Amino acid sequence: MNVMITGASGGLGRVMVAECAERGYNLFITDINQAGLLSLKQGLERQFKVCVAAKACDLTKAESVDELMSFIDMHGIRFDMLINVAGIDYEGGFLSIDREKIIKIIALNNEATLRITHDILLRRRPGKRFTLIFVSSLASLYPMPLKATYAASKRFLLDFALALRHELKNKDVSVLTLCPGGLVTTKEAIRGISAQGFWGNATTNSLEIVARKTIGYALQGKSLYIPGLLNKILSLLGRLIPRSWAAALIYLRWSKAQVKWLR
Amino acid sequence: MKAVVITGASSGIGFEIARLLSKNYFVIGIGRNENNCAHAKELIYSENPGAKIEYFIADLVQQKEVNRVAYEIQTYLENNDILELYGLINNAGCVRSWYTTSEEGYEQQFALNHLAGFLLTYRLLPLIIKAKGRIIMTGSQSHKGIKICWDDIMLRKRYNPLTAYKQSKLCNILFAKGLNDRFTSAGIRAYVVDPGLVRTDIGNKQAGFLVNLIWSIRKKYGVSPEIPAKTYEFLLETNPAPKGLYYCSCNEKTYSRQVTSENADRLFLLSEKLSGISYDRLEC
Ligand SMILES: NC(=O)c1ccc[n+]([C@@H]2O[C@H](COP(=O)([O-])OP(=O)(O)OC[C@H]3O[C@@H](n4cnc5c(N)ncnc54)[C@H](OP(=O)(O)O)[C@@H]3O)[C@@H](O)[C@H]2O)c1
Repeated sequence: MNVMITGASGGLGRVMVAECAERGYNLFITDINQAGLLSLKQGLERQFKVCVAAKACDLTKAESVDELMSFIDMHGIRFDMLINVAGIDYEGGFLSIDREKIIKIIALNNEATLRITHDILLRRRPGKRFTLIFVSSLASLYPMPLKATYAASKRFLLDFALALRHELKNKDVSVLTLCPGGLVTTKEAIRGISAQGFWGNATTNSLEIVARKTIGYALQGKSLYIPGLLNKILSLLGRLIPRSWAAALIYLRWSKAQVKWLR
Repeated sequence: MKAVVITGASSGIGFEIARLLSKNYFVIGIGRNENNCAHAKELIYSENPGAKIEYFIADLVQQKEVNRVAYEIQTYLENNDILELYGLINNAGCVRSWYTTSEEGYEQQFALNHLAGFLLTYRLLPLIIKAKGRIIMTGSQSHKGIKICWDDIMLRKRYNPLTAYKQSKLCNILFAKGLNDRFTSAGIRAYVVDPGLVRTDIGNKQAGFLVNLIWSIRKKYGVSPEIPAKTYEFLLETNPAPKGLYYCSCNEKTYSRQVTSENADRLFLLSEKLSGISYDRLEC
């Protein structure tokens, strides 16, 4: 099994990669930061008996992705799985973040994801089943004030993935979307989770379990994975109550948490 | 003046050790945060303007940072005409509430509490052997009652933050034992100190709601970090070198039956592989 993972050297990327390595898959890891990728490659080779290729790429730049693809073609690598982990968010309300940072959220979470997904699907291993994974978020389930751009970008991924799943069904491609709650990936994430107190803790999912189940469900052909019972309930509520109410409620909760967090 | 390196010297137990030792030693402290280190240095100078103390910044969870800081310290010592290192205190440690990893993809409690010290010791060992010096790890009573999970040392398959912490502290003693098995003949000694329950903020840093809450209550019953600091001084200064392995309040203490040469060798091999080094090939 040959697997491509984007955003590999981030917190979620690293556990996804370890999960794949544990399963004995060959890995092609990419991320924007070369040094992090090399540390990760080294760590993987010291822990597991797997073959790891690593190449840095700025997925928001078409030329950089073209270069990555020439490298892949030059080595004749073909894939059975793509895990789209790369994504960003900037904390703060719409007007308190720089304009270009707002644009960057869409450029990476959406445009770049489409770019790499398109290219890798064209490089799938012939005659074999292909598994495609998108990392959306619990934030995709409702409009989220104070995280408006991010939540909308994750909504885009969710809808896109559900549609693409049907489009590619008879081409033997399965598509899974992961919608996690809080994930403990960075120091900032831990700070954010702590700032939300009990609720932050309750909606947080264990990285290593999420990684294991995501790959498992994707291989089984499932379409959506929302980790954790509480998150499943929250997502159900989000579907039952009118979207504008959900937005108002979330605004109330987040505005409080953010005040604490940014202090 | 003898030189000593102390990791995690910007707060808690490590800071108190630095403060105590800076009266008689040239102290090199390592911390991860520039402000905390600057603050610690200032405090020590304000009490003892003649103290010899220098801080280096490194995030010891990352192996690359351990290698970098080891190199910087070597260069610094050379530039100051210090040709040997008498003490290395591997004290930096952390508590986590969730499975989190280093850049290499190593579980953070294992990476910081054990691997960082394992690699730093390797880098500085030639200098320590020259001084016939001593290496001290900060362990904990919590190392008892568990075994090393050899086929999943990062505990990724079934993560429990407390088990990961305990296991990392068992690793500390196994490492000290392995060092003594290999290098006592070269004149050095390795020890582990159990500091007891100490009033520090370890469980309030980067931890979740529950760990934070429990630690805030628990630490109220802890002693001041000045108390365990004395045991480190005792282990560095007693001559001839104390023969034990595990100490608390300047007294030898019994440790887990898991601490055998066989387990120590196994941990050595595994840690060497994970750090990309080999103690056998060390040129001393
Ligand atoms: N407190 C207890 O009751 C107790 C009991 C048994 C054993 N221990 C052990 O004692 C040791 C010291 O703990 P403590 O209680 O003194 O905790 P602490 O007050 O949190 O001190 C830990 C020290 O390590 C530093 N540090 C943390 N992460 C680091 C990193 N990634 N790279 C470099 N340095 C880092 C900290 O820097 P900052 O100042 O920037 O945070 C601080 O200087 C640990 O090994 C712990 O396991 C403690």
